[in-house]
Amino acid sequence: MLELCKINKAYAEGRKVLTNLSYTLRAGEYVAIMGDSGVGKSTLLNLIAGLDTPDSGEIRINGVAISSLDDDASTQLRREQFGFIFQAFHVLPHLTVSQNIALPLLLNGAPTERVEQMLAEVGLRDRGHHFPRQLSGGELQRVAIARALIHRPKLVLADEPTGNLDPDTAHDILQLMRAEIKANGASGIIVTHSHAAAATADAILNLTKDGLHPAHAGHSQ
Amino acid sequence: MNMSKRWGQYDLLSLIRMIILLFSLFAANTLAETSRLMPVVPGHALTFPHDYGAHQDFRIEWWYMTGWLETEDKKPLGFQVTFFRYATDQNHDNPSRFAAKYLIIAHVALSDPAAGKLMHAEKTAREGFELAYAKPGNTDVKLDEWTLVREENGRYLVDMRTEDFGLQLALTPTQKVLLQGENGFSRKGLEPEQASYYYSEPHLRVTGTVLRQSKPVAVSGSAWLDHEWSTAYLDPNADGWDWVGANLDDGSALMAFQIRGKKGGKVWAYAALRDPSGQVKFFSPEQVEFTPTRTWQSPHTEAVYPVAMHIRTGEIEWQLTPLLDDQELDSRQSAGAVYWEGAVTLTRDRQPAGRGYLELTGYVKPLAL
Amino acid sequence: MKSVSLSRWLLLGEWRAHILQVIVAIMAIAIGIALGYSIHLINTAAFNEFSAASKNLSGQSDLQVHGRSAFFDESLYPMLAKYEGVALANPVLELDVVMPNKLQNRNDHKLKIVGLDMFRATQISPDLLGVPVEGKRLDGLADDAIFLSPAAMEWLQVEQGDVLSLNAGLQTITLRVAGGLVRARSGQRIAVMDIGAAQWRFQQLGLLSRIELKLKHGVNHAAFKAELTKQLGDQYLVVEVTDQETRIANMSRAYRVNLNMLALVALFTGAFLVFSTQALSVIRRRQQFAMLRVLGFTRRQLLRQIVLEGALLGMIGSLLGLGLGYAIAAMAIQFLGGDLGSNFFPGIKPSIDFNPLAALTFFLIGLGVTVLGSMAPAFEAVRAKPALALRSGSEDAALSKLSTPWFAMFCLMLAMLFTQLPPVFELPIFGYLAIALLLIGGIALMPRFAARIFTSLQNVWGAQAGAMVTLVLARLANAPNQAAIALGGILASFSLMVAMAIMVTSFRVSVDGWLTHVLPADLYVRTVSVGDQGGFQLSEQKAMAGLSGFERVDFFRTQQLRLDPGRPEIMLIARPIDSIDPRNTLPMVDDAMTPTVLPEGVTPIWVSEAMVDLYGYRPGEKVSLPIGKAADTVFNEFVVAGVWRDYGRQFGAVQMQLADYQRLTGDTSVNNLAVWLGSGATLDAAMANLRQLPFGDALEISKSRDMRALSLEIFDRSFAVTYLLEIVAVVIGLLGVGASFSAQTLARAKEFGMLRHIGVMRRQVLVMLAAEGGLLTAMGIVLGFVLGWAISLILVFIVNPQSFHWTMQLHLPWGWLTMVAVIMLVSAAMTALIAGRRAVSGNVIRAVREDW
Repeated sequence: MLELCKINKAYAEGRKVLTNLSYTLRAGEYVAIMGDSGVGKSTLLNLIAGLDTPDSGEIRINGVAISSLDDDASTQLRREQFGFIFQAFHVLPHLTVSQNIALPLLLNGAPTERVEQMLAEVGLRDRGHHFPRQLSGGELQRVAIARALIHRPKLVLADEPTGNLDPDTAHDILQLMRAEIKANGASGIIVTHSHAAAATADAILNLTKDGLHPAHAGHSQ
Repeated sequence: MNMSKRWGQYDLLSLIRMIILLFSLFAANTLAETSRLMPVVPGHALTFPHDYGAHQDFRIEWWYMTGWLETEDKKPLGFQVTFFRYATDQNHDNPSRFAAKYLIIAHVALSDPAAGKLMHAEKTAREGFELAYAKPGNTDVKLDEWTLVREENGRYLVDMRTEDFGLQLALTPTQKVLLQGENGFSRKGLEPEQASYYYSEPHLRVTGTVLRQSKPVAVSGSAWLDHEWSTAYLDPNADGWDWVGANLDDGSALMAFQIRGKKGGKVWAYAALRDPSGQVKFFSPEQVEFTPTRTWQSPHTEAVYPVAMHIRTGEIEWQLTPLLDDQELDSRQSAGAVYWEGAVTLTRDRQPAGRGYLELTGYVKPLAL
Repeated sequence: MKSVSLSRWLLLGEWRAHILQVIVAIMAIAIGIALGYSIHLINTAAFNEFSAASKNLSGQSDLQVHGRSAFFDESLYPMLAKYEGVALANPVLELDVVMPNKLQNRNDHKLKIVGLDMFRATQISPDLLGVPVEGKRLDGLADDAIFLSPAAMEWLQVEQGDVLSLNAGLQTITLRVAGGLVRARSGQRIAVMDIGAAQWRFQQLGLLSRIELKLKHGVNHAAFKAELTKQLGDQYLVVEVTDQETRIANMSRAYRVNLNMLALVALFTGAFLVFSTQALSVIRRRQQFAMLRVLGFTRRQLLRQIVLEGALLGMIGSLLGLGLGYAIAAMAIQFLGGDLGSNFFPGIKPSIDFNPLAALTFFLIGLGVTVLGSMAPAFEAVRAKPALALRSGSEDAALSKLSTPWFAMFCLMLAMLFTQLPPVFELPIFGYLAIALLLIGGIALMPRFAARIFTSLQNVWGAQAGAMVTLVLARLANAPNQAAIALGGILASFSLMVAMAIMVTSFRVSVDGWLTHVLPADLYVRTVSVGDQGGFQLSEQKAMAGLSGFERVDFFRTQQLRLDPGRPEIMLIARPIDSIDPRNTLPMVDDAMTPTVLPEGVTPIWVSEAMVDLYGYRPGEKVSLPIGKAADTVFNEFVVAGVWRDYGRQFGAVQMQLADYQRLTGDTSVNNLAVWLGSGATLDAAMANLRQLPFGDALEISKSRDMRALSLEIFDRSFAVTYLLEIVAVVIGLLGVGASFSAQTLARAKEFGMLRHIGVMRRQVLVMLAAEGGLLTAMGIVLGFVLGWAISLILVFIVNPQSFHWTMQLHLPWGWLTMVAVIMLVSAAMTALIAGRRAVSGNVIRAVREDW
């Protein structure tokens, strides 16, 4: 469903980060991308999300080349087909938990009945009317997971989702994330430094100067 | 009196300066101006008591009294009282009661050797509202609370009190009126119109009270009165004058003056000496000679005055010695003009002869204002 | 590392990062201080110069004797000159003479001519003695000579030696400019003549304006004054210099105080803006401060850091403000005059005096307000538990401590109470306090109000609302404090603008209606009058009344009366008044007593509202006024038959029947006449007829519609400064909106970044920002309107009657208010948009990543 063809990307100052990168992600596949700092993991995510454009090469999602889309169209694409989970949660402080989760549905003009169900799935039943400041970090990330999946996106992008969490909570969150991605039939890419986190994915890819290379097998379950 | 200091910088119309200026000014103006004022002409007979009073048809007129007084403890004092009447020759048609047709100017000074200087005060007002006037018929002059009145019997009453000094005197004649010049026609220059009507009353017996620092002191003494009126007075070339009037111990009366020219020398001079019997000897200009014998420089104005003067009238030699040197009237603070007017003692041919008043004007250069 | 350099790093870092906010804060405080300071400077300069000029005129006397009317008989002069204890009596005749070639400048066309006896004046007012040409000393006494101050020479464009033509009554007189008045104050327009000449030339024979007395040393002034007052009786007033000063102060006090209050309003708006900038800046950095606390900053250090920041801003802003204020004042005085075009201080030219104390006071006000603005949020930041503060989303909770409803309610209650209190020293002090409290209370209530409104909006739209609406409403409803702070400045300035607009409109509409009522005739004719005499004698009255084309002619006799030595003169107007229904003649405030109610044999008068306030005259009351035969000026009894509205004379006016006046005084002359034209007659023909009279050239003929237009023009000019201040206040308010939106946009970068990630379009973000700004402003406008309306009630019904002693009806300028509201709405939304354009830049996307 996601095809990367010979992607090249250099920083403004000229340093090359991605060179001739090609990769294909199949529908329903959940992979982890690991790599050293500065190797271009976040750049890659930005490119996939259409928030940045490659210097050359093509990124296709379900056959649509997103680098050919203008800002509105790529935003529309993100709105309908993407879900995002961030390291710092990025939950809007003045919206309730339910409202935060409902945001993608509202953006897509879809009915919001599914919010209750999602709340239950991520273990936040009865917390829907709470404001983010009343929640712990793990709970905030649960909200973020619910928000990322409520509109049944095709692809979930998670950038170091457990970076701000303690190992126990991180474990729970990673399990939940995987479960939700699978339950919603989405593909997923998780960018992380943590081997424990990467291990929850179907496959682990190493991002180096030379490209994306499969590492040893990922999810053991 | 910082207030008066402040006004002093201004060229205000005021007593002495105005008089001095007028003397020269109107002499020059008389010919050009078509004035309602009358000229002084020879051959006009003075009539009394009418001529004791004011003469409103003439430009300027003054009653001038000087004299020596003695306190009960025999301390000498000199005094001077002057009332001027001045016709502005303006406002003829103005019906306002404030219309300034005549001005009354008055001046009082007291020379007190104990104080070492002259105390003086001056005032100016327009005639009107019975607050200031000079009445015809008999001497009756008033400026606010200052008065000079001649009673029917010839006695003069003077009341001139200020905040810190003053005079309340009665002056009784002991001799006849002395007509100066040609029966009261007194020439002041080469031109016949440079003249005044002029009489004197020497040897007035004075009794009364002097106020010093507002304390009354009984005094008695002898005084001299001049009454003079004119429309044109001084020669334009005149610089100033020296004048003396003296009551002599033997009952004689001496009056002498010289008008000094701007280029030095005298423009005119005159003297009259009346002996106790009433015989008057007149001296022509060339018979009268003023010679300074000692000068005094004023610390106030830096003007140099011949305060001791040698006067020759015909064969007679007079020596004048001042009661005190500093008898300068420094009115720069209000008027800007300064002169010396002081009590003097006289010797005649080196013998003590009497006491009088010497007036020295025109010794200060015009002040830069 | 020394803590000093740490402190400097923190400060410079913060300022470098938020230079725009820093500049706005400095500008806000600078503009506020500049306005307050410049108005203070202008007022002080004008007032001091006016007093100095008046003192210059009245000299250094111990006492002054005035008549009840402007002039009295000169026979008092010799009596006082001889009076026991009087050292000097200085008679003065003071005339305001209309200059024929200045008539187009109706409000500023008079030359003050002082008639003096220079021999008397030399000791009391030497500054007023003319300086003649060398050798022309007697010009000071001449009946054709006039001495002019340099300003008067410049104004009249004459020099020494020129001839000056003046109108005195129906005659023209020519005077010789004999010299100058070198001691007149710079800009003071006066002329001096000999008193006898002035009496004669200006037909004031036998009359004086006042007699100034100098007492002898050692005379007890108070005892002397009491004795003399008793001796002179009721028809004269013995006045001390202090009375004179009171009187001068009274003349312009209301004007000055009101202008100062307006300046304070500008300062207040500026202060609020600084407060909000500081508060937002501190809140934005809560996490940073919490981190510093975690790192080991003590509370005291942190507090000092924040307050130091505010103090520096305050210092820079205040210093800038002082300089700016000085420049504004200098320019305003140069171009508008000391009374800013309102003609409160005619005939003078003030210069600004730098008073270090005043400058320091304003500097401290600026500094104090800024430090206070930093203190409140600083205390909150310092008290916060670092662990809690580190978490985002707690900002608004922090702010809510700054606004408790109790405080707001207390302010509003107190304001209500203050509106019921009477004036203090004849000034509406409590009225102004009530306005301030209303503003403070209103602003403090704003967050609650915003939360309530937007929550209910949310409930109304609820689920069916789209993502954007939900986002906007949720933010406004759940983070009302930040929103409210942004809006505080705009709320303050808009409500004040509304209040002023309503007040000015009410005033203007009332004045317009009043003018129509008081100027019913077609033409008004007056002589170029001098002094207090009616310019038209019976023969001239007959000649004018007999002209063809006139349907009706009313004659007016106006005169000034002095009732209280500490107050300016009142105006007496004798004219035909409809005795059946006075409302046909006078703009009555309430129902007048009809003559049938009046007791037999009493003379009715109708008094202006100021007479009620200042002298306590009540309808139906018997009062005694110095209106009688000139020879034996006696008091006569009158009954107050009614109260009329007078916008022309804030110091009081009395109207009576001309017939009554003539019966009581025997004075048959009149000053003015009102002419109604018959059918078929034209204004131009009527004016031509009047001009053809033998004295036609000396007539001043005005069409009533021109007079109305001119009056309104003067009215508008007087309020020009008000408008200017309003605009400045609003600009400050908008600046504040811009600054706080910009600050908040920056603080919300991550929020926008996340929104962009999850599929919110760039333009949707902008729409969201504009909607937030617009909705907030709309609410601010609604609230500001309500607040402004309440304030305008205070202005119209409390401040105006208490300071100027006139009442008016409330009129709302709907069109204008709508226009201003729309402009505000659009500009606030625009401001929000411009401030928010950074919210959609590429940086925003990166803001969500924290591992870079």
